[in-house]
Amino acid sequence: MTVLAVSKLSKRYRRGGKPLAAVDDVSFEIGPAETLALAGPSGSGKSTIARLVLRLLEPDAGRIEFEGADFLSLSGATLRARRARLQMVFQDPLAAFNPRATVARVLDDPLRIHGIASRAERPRRIAALLERVGLDAGLAARAIHEISGGQRQRVAIARAIATQPSLIVLDEAVSALDVSVRGQILELLLDLQRQERISYLFISHDLGVIRAVAHRVVILDAGRVAESGEARAVIDNPQSTIGKALVAATPKLNRNTPP
Amino acid sequence: MTALLSIRDLSVRYRRDGIEVAALKGVSLDVEAGERLAIIGESGSGKSTLALATAGLLAGGAGIGGTIDWQASQFQTPRSVAPPSVLPDISPARGEIGSSAAGSLAATQEIGEGGDDDLISPLAGEMPGRAAGGATERRSSAIGDNNIPLLGRDIGFVFQDPSSSLDPVMPVGKQIAEVAHTHLGLGWSQSLARAKTLLERVRLPDPESALRAYPHQLSGGQKQRVAIAAAIAAGPKLLIADEATSALDTIVQAEIVSLIRRLVAEDGMTLVFVSHDIALAATLAERIAVLRHGELIELGEVHRIIDAPRHAYTRTLLDAHLGLDAEPLLDRQGASA
Repeated sequence: MTVLAVSKLSKRYRRGGKPLAAVDDVSFEIGPAETLALAGPSGSGKSTIARLVLRLLEPDAGRIEFEGADFLSLSGATLRARRARLQMVFQDPLAAFNPRATVARVLDDPLRIHGIASRAERPRRIAALLERVGLDAGLAARAIHEISGGQRQRVAIARAIATQPSLIVLDEAVSALDVSVRGQILELLLDLQRQERISYLFISHDLGVIRAVAHRVVILDAGRVAESGEARAVIDNPQSTIGKALVAATPKLNRNTPP
Repeated sequence: MTALLSIRDLSVRYRRDGIEVAALKGVSLDVEAGERLAIIGESGSGKSTLALATAGLLAGGAGIGGTIDWQASQFQTPRSVAPPSVLPDISPARGEIGSSAAGSLAATQEIGEGGDDDLISPLAGEMPGRAAGGATERRSSAIGDNNIPLLGRDIGFVFQDPSSSLDPVMPVGKQIAEVAHTHLGLGWSQSLARAKTLLERVRLPDPESALRAYPHQLSGGQKQRVAIAAAIAAGPKLLIADEATSALDTIVQAEIVSLIRRLVAEDGMTLVFVSHDIALAATLAERIAVLRHGELIELGEVHRIIDAPRHAYTRTLLDAHLGLDAEPLLDRQGASA
């Protein structure tokens, strides 16, 4: 059983009058409670794939099957209903939210729009969501711009899980966080995955992070799949030119004493 | 070794939303001539403030205390100067300068004991009712002095985002040539020839046509190469790179780090490399300074810091690094695939 099946996906842009294949014949599948990572250099197509899967962009060719349905053929109310099951968290939650909005407002929106909870019930649901992502319920009244980057990313995760999705697209979701906060957010994501059986499409330029949290990885180069497989096996022994280059370029600590 | 820079008891305070924030608290540190020093820390640690203060780039609204000694020439008596501020105050806190001036005046008097004539308060020119002309006069005479580092001539600075540090409407060759023209007194044709040589040295493909390119025609990595060429165009003794590779992807980051390493070695420059990434810092630096909440908590040789950190926070940073040899979090949690 698969949650998401992407097959032969292609998307071209025009840059300076010339067509540019941003995504070229890409296929992959994600199973329940599985994390599939997309890795690759800038311009390799990682974020374009995320936007195609979220239907923020329409592909030129290919098929996206989500929860068994042809996701690209959905429109109107059926698309909106299905979208509740497919959520996203981006790198910079400050850019994703209205900074003047309160935390409560950010979490109220999905509950209201998708008809998940009545007006009377929503404050309790919001408190439960905040608690679920490790935040104090008292944070609900604070403005988004007043809270720390780590707290903001927890709010983004709370909003994503508000509609009980089966898949969350995480586009560089931990890349801007301090390392000490990053570990906590990754633990939270893994915990949610275990508890709620959520699948992740995990987009990152950081092979160390991918190796730590992903089950499988797809390495992209210039819009095409260069190699894919079990995350640790691929990263520990890359076969493609780009895979080898990414591993070689990753800074190594070379600690001589165990922690 | 000779200290190129001696930073003593450096404190920097900003006002944010009417609240005074201490960005640096009494940091003392020597940067040895010819060394590669990394300054690492998380957000709010003060690492960028330290880099900006060293380059005299702090906005006028900042309250600065302490001294930075620049001993570029060992044949001249080093003199203490407060970090000069050469930028006009464009901070949003400008309206609050009147109230912040009192605090920073106290700081100025404190450091004034070191030698009043050489001190430049970045706020002096902004203080209402004070003889701004006198301050300006001292400032300009100070900049002419060989013992006070001049940004561009003595210190090259590379920022995180080359798109905002390069002029979008000026060909990159001219931007590099301008630095040589201003600080080395070269004519324009000589300066442009030097710019071309620099574009070759930073390995830009086709340097001849790159001279006439505008920043938007270059990739992120190429723009950062141009920014580095401009930073070293006047042959500075000190190169400061403030998160200079953080916006680049892993492969381009590694290329820029090796470019910086090569240029620093070829020109005998001293390097201050500011980064949030301890592993990246360790690949480039000889010594690492760890900052947290505005305080210098640990300073030492790279291997000592990595293998035997003395401060618990340094160990936390090392343990939080997810390297290619780290135990996957998936396994630690016992989650199933």
